[in-house]
Amino acid sequence: MSKENLKQVLNDEEIVTENKKQYMTFRSCDEVYGLSLENVSEIIGLQQFTEIPETEDYIRGLINLRGKVIPVVDVRIRFGREQLEYTDRTSVIVIQVKGTVLGLIVDGIEGVVEIGESEVSAPPSVSTIEQQAQKFVFGIGRVNGEVKLLLDAEKLINDSEEEEESEDEEE
Amino acid sequence: MADDMITEGMLDMFIFETEQGLETLENVGLDSRDAGEFDDDHVNEIFRIMHTIKGASAVMMYQNIATLAHKLEDVFYFIRESKPENIPHAELLDYIFEVSDFINGELEKIKEGSDPDGVADELIANLDTYLKKIQGSAGGGSAKKEEAPPAHAPEEDKPHFYIAPVASEDSHFYSIYITYSPDTDMANIKAYIAVNALKGIAEDILFTPSDIISNPDSASVVLEFGFKIALQTTETADVIMDLINTSSGIDQVEVNECTSDEFLKFCAEAEAGNHPGSSAGEVLLGPIEQPTVRTDAKPKEIPLTEEEEKVSVARKAEKEEEQEKKKLAPKKKKPAKKAETQSFISVNIQKMDLLMDLIGELVIAQSVVLQNPDLKVPGLDLSNFQKAAVQLTKISSELQDAIMAMRMMPLKNTFQKMNRIVYDTSKKLGKDIELEVIGEDTEVDKNIIEHVSDPLMHLIRNSVDHGIESNEKRQEIGKHEKGKIVLAAKNEGGQVWISVSDNGKGLKRDEILEKAKKNGLLGNRSERDLTDKEVFNFITLPGFSTKKQVTEYSGRGVGMDVVVKNIQEVGGVLEIESEEGKGSTMTMKIPLTLAIIDGMIFSVAGTNFVSATNAVSEFIRVDEDQLVIEPDGEEYVMIREICYPLVRLNRFYHMSNSKENLSDGIVIILNHEDRKIAVFADELVGEQEIVVKPIPSYIKKVKGISGCTQLGDGSISLILDIGDLIGK
Repeated sequence: MSKENLKQVLNDEEIVTENKKQYMTFRSCDEVYGLSLENVSEIIGLQQFTEIPETEDYIRGLINLRGKVIPVVDVRIRFGREQLEYTDRTSVIVIQVKGTVLGLIVDGIEGVVEIGESEVSAPPSVSTIEQQAQKFVFGIGRVNGEVKLLLDAEKLINDSEEEEESEDEEE
Repeated sequence: MADDMITEGMLDMFIFETEQGLETLENVGLDSRDAGEFDDDHVNEIFRIMHTIKGASAVMMYQNIATLAHKLEDVFYFIRESKPENIPHAELLDYIFEVSDFINGELEKIKEGSDPDGVADELIANLDTYLKKIQGSAGGGSAKKEEAPPAHAPEEDKPHFYIAPVASEDSHFYSIYITYSPDTDMANIKAYIAVNALKGIAEDILFTPSDIISNPDSASVVLEFGFKIALQTTETADVIMDLINTSSGIDQVEVNECTSDEFLKFCAEAEAGNHPGSSAGEVLLGPIEQPTVRTDAKPKEIPLTEEEEKVSVARKAEKEEEQEKKKLAPKKKKPAKKAETQSFISVNIQKMDLLMDLIGELVIAQSVVLQNPDLKVPGLDLSNFQKAAVQLTKISSELQDAIMAMRMMPLKNTFQKMNRIVYDTSKKLGKDIELEVIGEDTEVDKNIIEHVSDPLMHLIRNSVDHGIESNEKRQEIGKHEKGKIVLAAKNEGGQVWISVSDNGKGLKRDEILEKAKKNGLLGNRSERDLTDKEVFNFITLPGFSTKKQVTEYSGRGVGMDVVVKNIQEVGGVLEIESEEGKGSTMTMKIPLTLAIIDGMIFSVAGTNFVSATNAVSEFIRVDEDQLVIEPDGEEYVMIREICYPLVRLNRFYHMSNSKENLSDGIVIILNHEDRKIAVFADELVGEQEIVVKPIPSYIKKVKGISGCTQLGDGSISLILDIGDLIGK
């Protein structure tokens, strides 16, 4: 399903109001995360990737997306969880932020939701969210009583350097 | 500037054309340097260039450029028309370069979007002085002088109008051609007598050679080429004939009447060919001002007619002159190169890059199709498919060659720039240095040329400044030959080698070693261990300079490492050879192209690696007993009595699930410069043309991996950079 299709589906269902933002939601472990639809360029099935030696373990490797080489990151490992066997439901969300393209391996796609600004609250300082994941979460959105952890795509892309420092601090 | 009126396209075109013009200008200048004078073609070329630049910049309303260009044009107009001898060539050359530098500087300003506000008054004044000087010295003693120089050409162009000669009612126009018998003495005086005789009837008269009185040498010119007169008079041809025949020694006289229309035509031709830059009035009036030329018989009633007559004569005179010049100076330089008339279009480089990318994709897509697993069904008849596949492969490889050829540019322009650098630098340092250029037609990818220019410039400067000794020093140590730098380029097995050699003092091994020791670069190796090459390579390290004195051009120790870095960026290496006292040679070895290379694919633990095929010297299966393990854990393999250091990729990259037993996998011997290493991998996969792509920036640099590529099956393979792998 491409971004356009998703938007189309959504537009048919309801009218987008101004202060609402669309989020692509996906599952990783037991949490549901949301990424602003602006940053999502497409969703693809998991394909064969080439591992790169000597890189962080969450970088699973490179995939070939219609001639473009893009790195893929396993969100589970990135957020400090156990890696699971990949299944049919495992998908790759391709995000693009300021020219950098990255694939995120997630357990499954939930769908697109609209969350109004009023429904987003700042993440609690003490929370159940994994510490690794915490720094990527900029807010918590509530839709129909469900909690979505909203991710900052820019941080996901730019984290490589900061990563080491913060890891050191944590250890 | 009139921004509103000037469109982007015009500006681009102006900048492009002017830059090209200046480049040609410099080249012509440098071309003539050794000769010590300009030949006719050079003069015409420079004149033409300055004229174009002047016109274009005037249109763009860059007055300062136009004025300066005009001034230089004036100088060359004089040289072209008057052929003065013994003009101070070096001085003129300096002015040419100064003009070129000034205009280039202004162009830079224009490119940055600011106004070209430079003031070239001083330069213009210098050119003025220079022009006066050569005009002064040309007044006497020149055998070839025929037409006098124009009076000072105006600062601005006036419109050119042609009006049919308005002759007085009975006026006729004649061209008269007189030849004298070869044994005539003082033919110039005889010619003058004829002119004098005609004066009585002439409304206007002009003749060539024009300096028959002031210059005794003109006699021989008259003898050889005849004497030509243009005359406007009310008398008939017969009267003219009679008047001329009063003087002795005349062999033959031709008197032809021409119409005013013919004069007009002559005039237009002459204007187009000869005096494009200046207003008709000014240029043509010029000769009249010269006392030796003008024999003014009657008041000028019809000025335009007179002028046009003169032009036609001047035109003829020039043709004569050219012939004459060829005869008089048969020893003149190599035949001047005619401008090549090829048609070009300029294409945005981004479009070329896009095309290149697309062709890369095509090559990959092709191997995806041709190696498709669906084809591997047993018993499938593929003979037609295979035929079509061969055809496809052929076409796509031709396509690849074509795009490559399109991106290839000869090194000529880059090399010519070096000419200028040698000229400037050696002049300032007072060294007498000659530059020889070999193989300037060698073609290299455009991208690579851009990377080569800077390092090359640096190497050349180094050679001029440090390599070659001063003139006195050379005398002292008995080196009699001139300081010489040879800049050579050649193709060598998928690489271009560009070398800069000088016959100067060479590198001092001891000095470099000493400095290296001081900087702690030797490590635990003894001095004797180091080969010359290794020692010389020290000078490419940052901050390493044995030069005690810093000069304007080099010696700060920031040079060579930048050179090496630049070269490495395009996948090249720098090799240094030197012999103390005899000179040194720096060779840049650079791949022909960056984009598509032949790759050898091998796999380790399921990951594919690629190495450029020309870096692979062999692959071989080795047994355990060929393995030598040092106490410190370093491994070597002995193959045919030669010992290669072994890199196990699986251990190097900490990969599991790969073969550990040497005899199970394969050993690939890879070259890097003059080193060879053995790399152990699981298995060979195949060979393929690969398109080099960068590793996405999200992933940090991994040692030994310089990029990635897509294989025929669509998977991605990592490109192994052997130089990086062994940490060099």
